[in-house]
Amino acid sequence: MNNEYKPEKYERLNHLIGRITLPAGFILTFLPLFVLWKQFGITPEWLKLVEGIFSISVLMAPVSLVEVLTFTAMLGSGAMYMSYLTGNITNLKIPSAAMALEVCEVSPAGEEGEILSTIAIAGSVIISEIVIVAGVLLIGPLTSHLQQPVLQPAFTHILPALFGAIGAFYVLKEWKTAIAPLCVAIVLNLVGELPTALTIPLCVVVSVSVARWLYVHGFLHKKEVPVDEYAG
Amino acid sequence: MESYLQSANSLVIKWTVGLIVLFVLSQSLLFLWIAVKRGRAAGLSDQVMRRAFRAGVTTSIIPTLPILMALIAMAPVLGLPISWMRLSLIGSAPYELMAAGIGAKTMGVHSLGGEAFTPAVFANAVWVMCIGSFWAIMIVTVFYKGLKKRYALKAAGDSRWQEVLTGSCFMGVFALFMADPLTSGGVALATFTTSALFMGMCLFLIVKFKFEKLREFALTLSMIGGMAMSVVWSLYFG
Repeated sequence: MNNEYKPEKYERLNHLIGRITLPAGFILTFLPLFVLWKQFGITPEWLKLVEGIFSISVLMAPVSLVEVLTFTAMLGSGAMYMSYLTGNITNLKIPSAAMALEVCEVSPAGEEGEILSTIAIAGSVIISEIVIVAGVLLIGPLTSHLQQPVLQPAFTHILPALFGAIGAFYVLKEWKTAIAPLCVAIVLNLVGELPTALTIPLCVVVSVSVARWLYVHGFLHKKEVPVDEYAG
Repeated sequence: MESYLQSANSLVIKWTVGLIVLFVLSQSLLFLWIAVKRGRAAGLSDQVMRRAFRAGVTTSIIPTLPILMALIAMAPVLGLPISWMRLSLIGSAPYELMAAGIGAKTMGVHSLGGEAFTPAVFANAVWVMCIGSFWAIMIVTVFYKGLKKRYALKAAGDSRWQEVLTGSCFMGVFALFMADPLTSGGVALATFTTSALFMGMCLFLIVKFKFEKLREFALTLSMIGGMAMSVVWSLYFG
C-alpha cells in the first residue's frame, strides 16, 4: 500500500505546484506592463484593448483547448505545466522529451517515462533560458553575426533540419504507424495555409486511429522493429 | 516613438523581467527536484536520469536559435526586456508576433514599428500578447488534472498500447512539420533529407558498432549537419 501511495503523492504534488505556478507566472507577465503604466504613463486605449482581447480570444480559446487535449497524451504532469509556462511546445519541448525517452530506452507509457520526460523538459527549459539570456546580453554583436547573408540559409532551415532528423528516427522506429499521418500531413499541406488548430489535431487523430487499427489487427503486437535491431 | 522605447528599455523593466525569468527557472528546478526524488524512489538510477537531463539540454540548444532570431526582430519594436519576457514565457515566436499584430491592428496600425507605432499602440500590442495567453493557462490550470486522470484510466492496463498511442501522437505532430519540406522542395527538402541521412548514419553507428555515446547527440549532430549543408544547398539551388 505504501508503495502505491508514493506515485500518487508525486502526481498530486505535480498538480499542486503546476496549478499555483502556472497562473502565478501568467499574472507576473503583467508586472512590467503595470510598471510601464504607473511609472511611465504608457497605457493602452482601453476600448481598443477590449476589441483586441476579443479578436485574440476568438482565435486562442479553441486553439488552446485542442492543443491541451492533444498534448495531454504526450507529456507527464510536471512536463505539461513546465511546457505551458515556458511555451515553444512543438518545436522544443516535445522533441526533447521524445529524444530523452529514446536515449534512455524507456517507454513513454508508465511512470518512468513521465519522470524522465519531466527531467528532460527541465533541462530543455534551463538551457533555453541560458541561451536566451546570453542572447539578451550579447544582442549587439549577435545581431551582426547572425544576420550575415552566408549564414541565413542555416537559420531559415532549422525546422527542416530538426524534423528531418527526428522524423527519420521515428519512421525507422515504427514505420507502419508513420505512413498515415505523413500522407495526411502532405495532403493538408497541399490544400494550402490551414490553421494549426485544425491541422495538428487532425493529424494526431488520424495517426492514433490508424495506429489503433494496426494494433487491434495484430500488426504492432510484438515490440515493433526497435531501432537497436533495425540497422543491424 | 523614442520615448516609449526608452521606458521599455529602462533598468526597472529589465529588472522586473529578470525576476520573472528567475521565477520560471525556479519552477523548472522545483519540478526537476521532485522528479529526481521520485525517480530515485521508483528505482531509476542517477545515471539514467542524468542522461535524460543531458538529452533535454543537447536537443534544445539549436532549436532555441530561432528564438534568438525572433528576439533580434522584436527588440527594436517592443524593447529588449518585453521581447525577452514574451519569448521566455508562454507561447512561441509566431504567436507573439501574431498577437502583437492584432493589438496594433485594432489601433489601425498595420505594421510593427514605424512612425505610426505610438506608445498607445505599443501598449495595446503588449497587453494583447499577455492577455491572449489566458486561455491556454486557464485550461491547463483548471481542466488538465481531470483530463489526465480520464486519459490514464482509458489507457491503463495495456502498456504496449499506451506506448503505441504516445508514439503515434508524437508522429502526428512530427508528420506535419515533415510535410512542409516534403511539399515545398528546394533547399528545405535538401536540408531535410541531409538531416535524415545524418540521423540514419548515427543510428547505424549506434546499432552496428555499439557507439552508445552517440545516442544522446544524434539529434544535435544530425541537425548541425543538415544546417551546415543547407548553406551549400542554397548556393547550389539559389
